[in-house]
Amino acid sequence: MKPLMVSIGPQIKRGSAELAILSVLAEGPLHGYQIAKSIEHQTRGLLRFNLASLYPLLYRMEKRGWVKGTWEDPPGGRRRRYYRLAAAGRRHLVPLREEWAQLFRALNRLAEATHA
Amino acid sequence: MPDWREIATRRLTPLALEAKRQEEIIAELANHLEDLYEDLVRQGKSEVEAVQFALSTVADWDELRREIQLAADEEAIMNYRMNYRAKALWLPGICTSALAALLLRLLQIPSAPAPHVFWPWQDIALVLYWRWLLFLPLIGALGAYWSRRAGGKLLERVLAASLYPLGLTCVLALSFCVALVFPHRVSLSIRLVGFAVYVLGWSITPCFLLLLGALPFLKRDAGESRPAAASH
Repeated sequence: MKPLMVSIGPQIKRGSAELAILSVLAEGPLHGYQIAKSIEHQTRGLLRFNLASLYPLLYRMEKRGWVKGTWEDPPGGRRRRYYRLAAAGRRHLVPLREEWAQLFRALNRLAEATHA
Repeated sequence: MPDWREIATRRLTPLALEAKRQEEIIAELANHLEDLYEDLVRQGKSEVEAVQFALSTVADWDELRREIQLAADEEAIMNYRMNYRAKALWLPGICTSALAALLLRLLQIPSAPAPHVFWPWQDIALVLYWRWLLFLPLIGALGAYWSRRAGGKLLERVLAASLYPLGLTCVLALSFCVALVFPHRVSLSIRLVGFAVYVLGWSITPCFLLLLGALPFLKRDAGESRPAAASH
């Protein structure tokens, strides 16, 4: 069982993190810190990203064409890199949401069956 | 307020990326640290506490540097792997295969026939070009040496030295499978024996001789890292 856990663990972790980032970017462009805060706020602190967990993932997603980062100079503010959901990311988000919904439904059924 | 860009630069550089990309990444991460620091100060933390907390969000800066490098430059890493395969396997393997094939062709010139041995058995005759076979250890040595010079690990060196008979085995196996589809007056058992004899003569024997020549170059170098530690 141990090797299975090792191989599934990072995939689930990365998959859930991708879903979280794509979901918040679906609502509009955000810079890195805003992405982390938005996820934390929307999940009521259950999911938290820090610098080490967020940016490597963002860069990977950008390489895959799911998000697009552009530098912007807001008046009176610091120059920041804003991320937008790209068309490929939008296409990826739809089945990803469905897969996760299915996974949670399956886990719920399993939990209910265990309690019964 | 601390200079977050200087802190990020000190902890994350050098990144093996283009200077412009490295600068962008440093600026972006410095912005993140500064935002976090400002939030913490607004929440009532002292400046020292805020700096300590912001820096503590990264447990291992070296690991973050590696992660960023891999994530930001996956393409370069893919290119590196492709170039590595080309230099350490395909180039020496194809060149030594071409050399072996050319040598065989030269020895097959009818006007100057090379000494060869027939292997008559049932209807099967296998020509063994002894002079060609004698050259194979040298060719194998060349392939393995070339691959080692290009940084090839054990598998690449073995394949670079023996690509010719391996390729030939694939061709023979494919031809045999195709021949099975069509009706033939020769029985299947004779065809199977014929295939085995050909594989022995054109694949196994040359492969053995090529690897015999490659043997001195298959040993691990003194400064060579283990494959698991050099996966990137």
